[in-house]
Amino acid sequence: MIASEHLQPHQIDAFADHELSPDEARAVQQHLATCHACSLRVLSTVNLKQATAAAGRRFDPSPAMLARLTAQLQQGTTAKPQPKRVLSFPRTRFLWPALAAALLLVAVSLATLTVRRNQNTLSAELLDQHLATLSPAASPQVLSTDRHTVKPWFAGKLPFSFNLPDANALPPGVTLKGADLTYVGDHPAALLLFTVGKHQASVFVTQQSSFTAKPASTRSGFALRSTTAGDLRLTAVSDVDPAQLDRLLASLASVQQAP
Amino acid sequence: MDTPQTITDSSSNASFEELAIPLLPALLRHAHWLTQNEAEAEDLAQETLSKALRAFSSFTPGTNFKAWIFRILRNTFLTSRTGITAMRTTFLEDHEGLEESAVATGSTPEETLIQLADAATVQEALRQLPPANRDCLLLCDVEELKYKEIAAILDVPVGTVMSRIARARAALRAHLKPHFGGRQ
Repeated sequence: MIASEHLQPHQIDAFADHELSPDEARAVQQHLATCHACSLRVLSTVNLKQATAAAGRRFDPSPAMLARLTAQLQQGTTAKPQPKRVLSFPRTRFLWPALAAALLLVAVSLATLTVRRNQNTLSAELLDQHLATLSPAASPQVLSTDRHTVKPWFAGKLPFSFNLPDANALPPGVTLKGADLTYVGDHPAALLLFTVGKHQASVFVTQQSSFTAKPASTRSGFALRSTTAGDLRLTAVSDVDPAQLDRLLASLASVQQAP
Repeated sequence: MDTPQTITDSSSNASFEELAIPLLPALLRHAHWLTQNEAEAEDLAQETLSKALRAFSSFTPGTNFKAWIFRILRNTFLTSRTGITAMRTTFLEDHEGLEESAVATGSTPEETLIQLADAATVQEALRQLPPANRDCLLLCDVEELKYKEIAAILDVPVGTVMSRIARARAALRAHLKPHFGGRQ
């Protein structure tokens, strides 16, 4: 920086935000010692920064709100498995077989209900996210048809890695459009966006080990198809022919590494 | 993979709870700025904590926990209905060529030396900023995060963080000048 030149706006911001290196900060201070105009600009920025901090903190969470969140945290981090209850029944000859059969029936029913509920929840979440990508205002976080751009973009963002096929290895009429980082069932996931003819398809790449539920096959007229490859679960959502989704998933699964 | 119920940072011995509880007011505050609604802010903070707890094993000890959990907060917001409509916008001004015009307000230093006594007016000016610029400024000035950390939270280059902050401040000055007597 030449001493006679005024500071650039980005230098003033960086100085006020303590983002300059020691050498750069020293050079700015030397300039400020002799430049009234820049001193006023710096003062103005610091002033504005303080006012922003004060205004930004005006929302004061209520003690009740903080208490609820604290309780949620404590409950979440210290929850211990419930101790097994020991049931005591009279030792009647026919009671145990009958009880076992009844318990088995209840267990099967509950398991079926739970699986169905998990499937519905997962399908709703996936469809919700797919619909969001169809909005004209939606813009993928990474907008590229190049797998060499899309795949590296996820580096460091996901706790797992996955591969993308070459554009010519995708089924005919299918093009990679971009990708988003998202969450599925509270777990980080890659959302790959494809165009299939004139339709859009979303493919969610998640870790199989993160959740076990499989989505239902259809929801609200949209097809949901799922496959696995190693520890990855690939789930596609679209309103195209399900067979096309299967071909897209197969091409994606074929390039994943074996576990 | 089973989610451990009691999770402890093995190197520093700080549990998730110990790290997260001091940040609750900041999380709620930023969630409130994102959602502009008290109930939604609490829901967003709750969901963020839930996701962060489950993903705590991916947190790298020794790195900034606040930046890590704020990133989850933002991603959670982005995948919410409110977030999708509010935030998924391409900001053309993030791209080259517009920075200089955005930050050059044309005012003299004296004019920009505003008296900022009324926090309510500043808050209103903040509310009127484009969300992307406002988020950057709040993470910098309110949450006191470094440009690099903000870039990681928002998934944008550091240069974009700098230009968004510059634009946000220029817009705030322009908004506040009539209120507080920029000397004309």
